[in-house]
Amino acid sequence: MSSVVNPFTGRWIMEPKTQNVWGNQHATWFTFMGVGGGLFINRMVFGIEMGRFLGMTWADILSLVLIGVGGLILIADLGKPLRLLRSLLNPRTSWISVGAIADFTFMGLAGLWTLADFNVGGGGLNLTGLPWHGDGTLGLVFQVVAALAAIVVITYPGLVLASSPSIPFWNSTLIPMQFLVNGFASGLACGLIYAAIAPSDVTGDVLTGWLSLTTGMLVLSVFLQIAHVLNGTYTHVAAKVAVRRLLSGNLQVAYLGGVMLAGLVIPLALITYALSASGSNASMAAGVAGALILVGNWLSKHTVIRAGTYASLF
Amino acid sequence: MTRWGMALDLERCVGCYACSMACKTENGTPDGVWYAPVYEKEVGKYPNVKRMFIPTLCMHCEDAPCLKACPTKAIAKRTDGIVLVDQAKCCGTRACVAACPYGAMNYVHEVQGAFGGELIQLEKQSFKSTAGTVQKCTFCSHRIDAGKFEPACVEVCPTKARIFGDLEDPGSEISRVIRDRNGSPARPEAGTGPSVYYLR
Repeated sequence: MSSVVNPFTGRWIMEPKTQNVWGNQHATWFTFMGVGGGLFINRMVFGIEMGRFLGMTWADILSLVLIGVGGLILIADLGKPLRLLRSLLNPRTSWISVGAIADFTFMGLAGLWTLADFNVGGGGLNLTGLPWHGDGTLGLVFQVVAALAAIVVITYPGLVLASSPSIPFWNSTLIPMQFLVNGFASGLACGLIYAAIAPSDVTGDVLTGWLSLTTGMLVLSVFLQIAHVLNGTYTHVAAKVAVRRLLSGNLQVAYLGGVMLAGLVIPLALITYALSASGSNASMAAGVAGALILVGNWLSKHTVIRAGTYASLF
Repeated sequence: MTRWGMALDLERCVGCYACSMACKTENGTPDGVWYAPVYEKEVGKYPNVKRMFIPTLCMHCEDAPCLKACPTKAIAKRTDGIVLVDQAKCCGTRACVAACPYGAMNYVHEVQGAFGGELIQLEKQSFKSTAGTVQKCTFCSHRIDAGKFEPACVEVCPTKARIFGDLEDPGSEISRVIRDRNGSPARPEAGTGPSVYYLR
C-alpha cells in the first residue's frame, strides 16, 4: 500500500505524517519554562539560592528571566503578537490559555516577592520594608501562589501536546509528567553548576543532599522515558512511527545519544562519582552533570516535538 | 435543530479536483491554502490494485479539538454545527493546527494570491485572508446563510460524490445514504464526532 502526493498541495496525509507546526523555538520555550519554574520551587522548598545579587537570590532572578524569555519566545512565535492578551480568554479548555494566565501570575507575584529582597546596602535603595518581604504571612502567600503557578508553567506545554488527539505519540499523560520531572531536575542541575562555580558556598552535606535529589529525579526521568517509548510502541501506528524515528531514524543520535546517554546516564554516573568523591572533584563532577542535564532537557523537548507524527485519515 | 454534514462517496469520486478548484474560487484562499484537497491512494497488491481518490475538508466536529485548543476563542461552533475561525480574533498560536486530527487547519504565513504577487480580479472579490492567522473550510456558510444550501464543492461535483444536508433529519438524503451504506467518519478513534462521513 502506498500513497502519492496531492498535485496541488504536495502534502501527504494518507500515511502517518511528521508534524511541522512546532519546532526548536517551542523546544526552547518549553525548556526555559521548565528550568525557570524548577529554579523557583527548588529555591523555595530546598533552599537552593545560588548566591545573591543586590539582596535577591540568583535562583529567583534566573527563574524570572528564564520564564520571561520563554514567554517572549512564545510571543515572537505568534502570528499576531499584538493579540497576545486574547490568549487569556479560554482557560476552560485551552492549556495555552491556562499557561498564559499562570505565566502572568508567576511573573507578577514572584517578581514582586523577589523585588522585596532588593537591597543595595550602604544607605542605598532598600525594598525590604515591603509588606510581603520574607517569609511572613503575606510573603508566604505570594510564594505559595507563585510556586503553584510555576508548577503550571512547567507542566502546561506538556499538557498542550498531550491534549492533541491528532498526534498519538503526544497524546499521553506521560509527557506532562516528564516535563514536570525535567523541570525539577533542571532546577537542581542549576544548583549543581553553581556548586562547581562557587564550591565554597556549598558545603559537602548540602551538595550531597542536592545530588541525592537529582539522582531521584533522573531515575524517575529514565523510567518515564522508557514508559513513553513503550506506550508509543503499543498504542497507535503513528506513535510507533514516532518511536521508530527516535530509536532508529533521523532522531536517533539526538534521542539515544543526547537525551538518554548525555542527559541521563552520564549525569547519573557523574553524580554517583560525586557522591563518593570529595572537595573540588565532587563539585566539578556535579557541575558537569548539571550542564549535561540542562542539555538533555532541551533535547528531550526537541526530540518529542520533532517525533510528533499525525495519524493517517484511514 | 439542523446539523449540517457531508457524505463523501469514495466509489464515485474520480479525482477531477473540480471541488478543490471550486472551493478555491468561492473562498479566494491564498497561495498554498486548500480547504478541500483531494488525495490519492493506491490500495491492494499487484495485480489487484486500485487507485482511490479521497476528498477531505474540515470535519466540523461535534467535539472540535481545534475549538478547545484555541486560547483566544477565535474558533466557534454555530448552532447548525458549522465550526468557524474568526481571523480577527486569532493570534496565531497554531495550537489548533496541531490539535486537528484531519489536517484541516491552514496557517497562513504570508498573504499572497494563488498566482503569486497581486490578486487577480476574481480573488479580489472573495479574498479575506490575514497573514499570521488560521483559516479553514467553512462549509460555505456564507452560501448557506444566503439560502443556497449547498457548498461550492458539492455544487460542482460531476459525479455527485458529495452529498450535503441535515444530519439531524432522518429523512434527508445524507442521513439515508449514511444509514444505507454504513457511512463512517475518518479516524473515529479520535472521538471528535465529525459531521463528514465517508461512503466506501
